[in-house]
Amino acid sequence: MIGRWTIPLIVALAAACGVPFVAGDYLIGVALSLAMWIALTESWILLSGLTGYVSLGHVVFYGLGAYVGILLWGEVGGVLAVGGAGLASGVFALAVGYPALRVRGPYFVMLTFGLAEFCKYIVIDVEAGLGQFSRLLLGGPSVLQLYYVVLGLAAAATALTFFVARSRLGYALRAIRENEEAAETVGVPVAFCKLAAFALSAIIPGMVGALMVARSSYFEPSQVFDPIVSFTIVTMAIIGGSDDARGPFLGAALLVLLSEILWARAPQVYMILLGILLIAFVLFAPGGITGRLLSRPVKVKP
Amino acid sequence: MKRRWLLSLMAGLALMAAASAQAADPVRIGFAISKTGLFAAGTGSQFDTYNFWKDQVNARGGLDVKGVKRPIEFVWYDDQSDPGKAVQIYEKLITSDKVDLLLAPWGTPAHIAVSGVVERYKFPMVGDSAASVKLRELKPGNLWFTTAVMPDRFGPVIADALKANGLKTVAVLTPQLPFALEVKSFLMPALKKNDIEVKVNEEYPPSIKDMTSLLINVKNANPDAVLVFSYPADSTLYMKQARENGIAAPFQFVMVGATESWFTKQFGAATDGIVTMGHWSPKVAAWKKAQPFFDAYEKQFHEAPDYLDSALAYMSCEILEQAVAKAGLDKDGIRKEISTETFETINGPVKFNGVENATTPASLLQIQGKSMELIWPPSIATAKFEKKPAWPAN
Amino acid sequence: MQAILSWQLLFAALVTGSIYVLVALGLNLVYGTMRLLNVAHGDMVMIGAYVSYWLFTLSGLSPLLSMLIAAALTAALGALAYVGLFRRLLANRQLVQRLEGNSLLLFFGISIVIQNLASLAFDSTPRAYQYLDRVVAIGNLGITENRLAALIVTGILSLVIVLFLRFHIYGLAIKALMQHREAATVVGIDVERVQILSFCIGFGVAGLAGALLSMMEQITPFMGFPFTIAAFVVVILGGLGNLLGGMAAGLLLGILETYGVALTSPSLRSVLIYGVFILVLLVRPQGLLGGKRVVR
Repeated sequence: MIGRWTIPLIVALAAACGVPFVAGDYLIGVALSLAMWIALTESWILLSGLTGYVSLGHVVFYGLGAYVGILLWGEVGGVLAVGGAGLASGVFALAVGYPALRVRGPYFVMLTFGLAEFCKYIVIDVEAGLGQFSRLLLGGPSVLQLYYVVLGLAAAATALTFFVARSRLGYALRAIRENEEAAETVGVPVAFCKLAAFALSAIIPGMVGALMVARSSYFEPSQVFDPIVSFTIVTMAIIGGSDDARGPFLGAALLVLLSEILWARAPQVYMILLGILLIAFVLFAPGGITGRLLSRPVKVKP
Repeated sequence: MKRRWLLSLMAGLALMAAASAQAADPVRIGFAISKTGLFAAGTGSQFDTYNFWKDQVNARGGLDVKGVKRPIEFVWYDDQSDPGKAVQIYEKLITSDKVDLLLAPWGTPAHIAVSGVVERYKFPMVGDSAASVKLRELKPGNLWFTTAVMPDRFGPVIADALKANGLKTVAVLTPQLPFALEVKSFLMPALKKNDIEVKVNEEYPPSIKDMTSLLINVKNANPDAVLVFSYPADSTLYMKQARENGIAAPFQFVMVGATESWFTKQFGAATDGIVTMGHWSPKVAAWKKAQPFFDAYEKQFHEAPDYLDSALAYMSCEILEQAVAKAGLDKDGIRKEISTETFETINGPVKFNGVENATTPASLLQIQGKSMELIWPPSIATAKFEKKPAWPAN
Repeated sequence: MQAILSWQLLFAALVTGSIYVLVALGLNLVYGTMRLLNVAHGDMVMIGAYVSYWLFTLSGLSPLLSMLIAAALTAALGALAYVGLFRRLLANRQLVQRLEGNSLLLFFGISIVIQNLASLAFDSTPRAYQYLDRVVAIGNLGITENRLAALIVTGILSLVIVLFLRFHIYGLAIKALMQHREAATVVGIDVERVQILSFCIGFGVAGLAGALLSMMEQITPFMGFPFTIAAFVVVILGGLGNLLGGMAAGLLLGILETYGVALTSPSLRSVLIYGVFILVLLVRPQGLLGGKRVVR
């Protein structure tokens, strides 16, 4: 299994590294947003795909990372700011994860959404209280530098999800997804495993958030905590297939491609197609592209 | 459904390709605008005005490029109210579409976001619907702002207008949005300096759906002036609920929305006496181009131009047009021209100091009966401030 | 602080709350009978609002009449959604295992499609019209007539729905289905028909609420989403699938929001609402007003 997928992945990574040599800034920008979505969706799968705890608020980690990033960037420089952003998101996940992960099913979905919105409004109030109305990040890195860093994060997120899915932790998480009570009975440390997955799935989105602020050089809370980001992540994962690290490549690639073709002239048409795709995949191909078209879902080992 | 969309899209693209092949060497001007998303509701006047200008110029035989008239062709994309997307679009416009000139996107966030792009490619662009003191942090040279309502100028102007009209107490309601909060931060010290007492000072979220609790406080405080730094949705809400609560202050200010034609259409007589933000009026006799612009615009759209966004958008087009007439399409020439020359616009002469419009004064408009009057500062006023009459019963 | 004791504030709280009651009712009905999470619910409010707006603008038809057309149209959309999509979902064994999650995604897809179709058809210019716009003064209290009308209509409609659930044969069938699905089938309830009915009533009431709102608020293609959120908050407060609890919770949220804001600051409105929402989910997911414990 590893062998069959390692080579194409390495080829894809090499090709991705080569993009800037043949493409202009615009295409690098497109590749950057593809890398961003892959990084975010891979992270989401580590939690929601494996455990079945569907997070509809993953933007909270992205937004928090963006906020910490912009606070630190001018003080300690980009590298530490991005690291700090990842750390902050991870710590935040640990702090809220314990109570939040006791809530299941549709309640967890709504809780994560509510949590993200709650944090958005807290940050808005804090910023207004500080007399900050928006923040600028001038003289940040070039799109090329950003591309390589985010590409690195996408690769890291993919590797993380890939190896976790095949580790003891991964089997424990899938066991929780299939039947949490049973998993607990046979001795899976359920609470610990869920919390570990939650924290691991938060770090990279945090770092990506900090980097994407550098991309637009502008920080405004309602933009970096936009719930659309969470929705897009879920849609990409569903379309790609959410049980494994391969899914997001196809899901993200398809949607980014679709959006490139359509956004410029017909953004509504793009959104409508997105909705139709989502409906079609849920009803007809719940395993996503990887589950359906490649028709070899990963077997769950006991 | 899907098929039809794709087909019509492909047909559209083919048509566009055919059209561009036919036209005789047009000047291609690119921009991004928010047609969908958070800001979509506010971008209409800017977009309409760009197109109005293009049609006008093309009707005159084309854009004067150093003496040669060439037709204008727009290349524009929807940035979906996402500044990150605006960055991508301007990169695409410059590197892949290879447009000859640029016009600005809508709103402060997008302006700031694309400032890095125009700087990197040394591509001069005249901004319009952006205002923030943070803009001055941007490196001057490739981006200029036509707005006259920079927060640090606009805040004090409001305080001066209140003082001059003998208004001594105010209620200040501010949505938590960058420009509004920034204006307020410069207004507060100016009020203090002018001995105007702040009786109510509240912030509210932009998504507010009910202002009753705020307005009860305002009513109890009974101030001379109510300043609401609102955007279209909350301006509308204020209009409805201030009337319901019987807010009787003689000076009632809403910030954005009141200059647009739907506002007067929707509220009719209730708008009489409302003060708002704006620095243009067709009635200032010294601005010779103002009234003809107003008339032509009204003729084409069957409604008055937006006194704020339409005026700003048109000014930035005029400045670009005049710079290109002298310097051609050469970027360095255009940059030199815009940074040093004085331009004759519908809003009077404009000269830039750094990134900022240094000539047009920050000012206030008031709706008086059916007309829109500049009431402050006296140097450009077209009428005197009048106390807001009582809200009509229906 | 006098503001707290004002009639004006109480009136505002009741108007806000009564709209929440209507919007949340439909969401609860569809969840209670079928365990489907309808995140496209607010979009029915939007459609209802546009129906009334266009009928008023084009033909001068009163929204108090066109609200019936709006309700009928959205109810028909509900039936269509059920027959076209959700019957299939409910019949698929694999999908039913994770019914809530899958229904949420399906409805989300529907929501995107509806919002963007509306945005293509009507563009995103905010629209509004004036109807029953006089301010009636009762002592110190000023009331815009359309807000009063909305309050009266929601009051009557809520009463009708309560009576329907209590006495009408289909109302009882809906309740039976919510309380015990298997038993309901055994005693001969036509589950299929009751489910369609739930969709129709749920969507129709949302459309009607939209028609009422159109008199008071600006209409845009994306106005529905905040109502979806509000409906979810209400339903969580009242207990998922608990209809009477949800109606009480709608009023409660209106009061909580209006008075909470008056006591603190409007800038804390969203923090307050989401704070309560999160707290209830963490501490008491069966709802503040729900009696029985739900299986999480």
